[in-house]
Amino acid sequence: MEKMILVCEDSLEGIFTAIYNAYELKQNHDNIMLQVGEAQGLLFSTYKTVVSDLLKMKKVVRTIINEFGESNYYCFCQALAAEDLEKADAVYHTIVHGLKNKRKSAVMDDITNDYVNKVFCLSRNVNNEILHLKGFLRFKELENGILFSEIGPKNNIITFLAPHFSDRLSNENFMIYDSIRGIIIMHPAKKQWVITRSELLNLDEIKKYSETEQEYQDLFCYFCEKIAIEGRINKKLQRQMLPLRFREYMVEF
Amino acid sequence: MDTNYLIEQKNIACDLSSTNTEILTVQHSAKMPMNHTNVDDMPIMEKLGVLTDAAKYDVACTSSGVDRAGDKSGMGNAVAGGICHSFSADGRCISLLKILFTNECIYDCKYCVNRISNDVKRASFTPDEICTLTMEFYRRNYIEGLFLSSGIIQNPTYTMELIYQAILKLRTVHRFFGYIHVKAIPGADERIIEQLGFLVDRMSVNLELPTSEGLKQLAPNKHRKNILTPMRQIQTGIKVSKDEVAIYRNASKFVPAGQSTQMIIGATPENDYQIMSVAEGLYQKFELKRVFYSAFIQVNEDKELPSLPGGPPLLREHRLYQADWLLRFYGFTAGELLSEEKPNFNILLDPKADWALRHLELFPMEINRVDYQMLLRIPGIGVKSAQRIYRARKNTNLTFPDLKKIGVVLKRALYFITCNGKTMYPIQIEENYITRNLLDVKEKLPFDLGGVNYKQISLFDDQNFHKNPVLQDANQALFGQF
Repeated sequence: MEKMILVCEDSLEGIFTAIYNAYELKQNHDNIMLQVGEAQGLLFSTYKTVVSDLLKMKKVVRTIINEFGESNYYCFCQALAAEDLEKADAVYHTIVHGLKNKRKSAVMDDITNDYVNKVFCLSRNVNNEILHLKGFLRFKELENGILFSEIGPKNNIITFLAPHFSDRLSNENFMIYDSIRGIIIMHPAKKQWVITRSELLNLDEIKKYSETEQEYQDLFCYFCEKIAIEGRINKKLQRQMLPLRFREYMVEF
Repeated sequence: MDTNYLIEQKNIACDLSSTNTEILTVQHSAKMPMNHTNVDDMPIMEKLGVLTDAAKYDVACTSSGVDRAGDKSGMGNAVAGGICHSFSADGRCISLLKILFTNECIYDCKYCVNRISNDVKRASFTPDEICTLTMEFYRRNYIEGLFLSSGIIQNPTYTMELIYQAILKLRTVHRFFGYIHVKAIPGADERIIEQLGFLVDRMSVNLELPTSEGLKQLAPNKHRKNILTPMRQIQTGIKVSKDEVAIYRNASKFVPAGQSTQMIIGATPENDYQIMSVAEGLYQKFELKRVFYSAFIQVNEDKELPSLPGGPPLLREHRLYQADWLLRFYGFTAGELLSEEKPNFNILLDPKADWALRHLELFPMEINRVDYQMLLRIPGIGVKSAQRIYRARKNTNLTFPDLKKIGVVLKRALYFITCNGKTMYPIQIEENYITRNLLDVKEKLPFDLGGVNYKQISLFDDQNFHKNPVLQDANQALFGQF
């Protein structure tokens, strides 16, 4: 049987629109596949490009929340933030599988289903990186008082970090810059955060630090050095707990 | 600074915790200490070094136990799961700015680096220095909050009041709403502990050593009774506060993240069974959130202290933590894991595998039917896998490949389970056979065992035993030629 492949943009909007379109086809779901990014040549299949549509996305999101609940919706969003080519297809088929179930809120319990398992693994992976970066992210105080942070995460998680830091540092002006994807979160003090492309970023401004910045970096480095117990030095454990890829953005390494 | 200032500060604190005004405005005795003045002008960098060095032997560095949203009037929030911000070279998590208020101390505990008879550099922070460091580190996301402990100056109450001043300033002037953990000092006035409890998230009283005999021997200034009194007070305070919060939603919370304690392992001759029984008692009778175990590290030369040429007893500490987890999350009791006859943990096997091997009559268990409590007792299945199995099997009959997807460590679990009546491979439910196989699956330990390896101490060393002795061997044995 010929497969129908829907190719969509790598964004929540794109993927949820694709799911809407897939249902609109009214075909057997087993014959439909979702793909993010560019079409990759599979033989005997028809490709269709999906045009992202905010309205369709909203309808799908509403259905997901109504049928599966907020926490499962959050789980899907995490899975879709992963850097993985099959994520859209996995979420789509998880939804199809879940809607057949009696207890829809327990969709993620069917961990033995391959699609559900895929979504579960992706979302766990993304969640772990979010938890890591909530701790490992470092702000530097710029000359103009803004707190600036650069990160290079594997997954597209910047929007998951924004609410956490906005709540924590509500009176601060801060920016979090994902240098791999070229996107940036801006939080003006006491206001709502926004996300933009990083072309707006003035690369010279972010290299000028405030007078006291170096002092606090030094103090913290010294603290980290002093807090280790000589008799228990264990670099292997340290590397296991704090993978090297995070360290290039951290002041203490 | 005069006492009026302090009373004013307290009134601000009342805004934070309106229903507890009564406690916070308790009249202070006139002898409330003035700010502890620092005679020398040590640079802040050096102070931080000295007071971090002095604080590092304290184990607890968790920032967990309380969820608190940020407050627009200040900075900071708290996340129930806790957040690790970095890891030091010893692989321990750095979550809080762990410092002492001062490392001056009037006590002479034999195991402690800060004891009065030691000639170490002494320093003290001012409350302002503590506040600035905490705020500036927190803004940069270096830390999750503050962990403040202290050596004893003058007397316990005086010291606690100094800590109180610093914390009060941090919470009210700087409006810091991140995580704060302080030590309650045994022997301090009840009122100061109560007041401080409303400002912090977690309090801990160090048990120091597992038994009162050990304490007498190594910490002559400390008494078991003095340690248990504040522990009981905090327990009662938490209970009362929970009831109040249930009625008045905005009542301020007393030590909302619960209390913890720690004890030093290997400085005194207690066995693992005694230690686990003490821990179990603390969880049951004092409702502690955590008990921490700290492998004894030799920082002082003293004839009362054991010498540990092999370094701190890390494996023993690790086994105790494993068992501690079994007590808290797996429904085990200390009496099931150890006994008078078998008072120490197995070096080769983790406590759960060890228990399972002594109860082979219960195995194999059928994954699709056995109840949740028993699932938790199967080696290779943790709390998360047990929950996933429990939920997933409602819809399907689980198979071995399914278990792998769920995250069960089949290498360990396969000797103890069946799926739909069948074991994974043909196996024998027999102690020696399973022990041998479990030992082949190398246990993942958080540290290298140094020179010791499993082979050296294995009871089941059967290397080369399959070879029959040849004639030459027999001759050599006869004439003692090895």
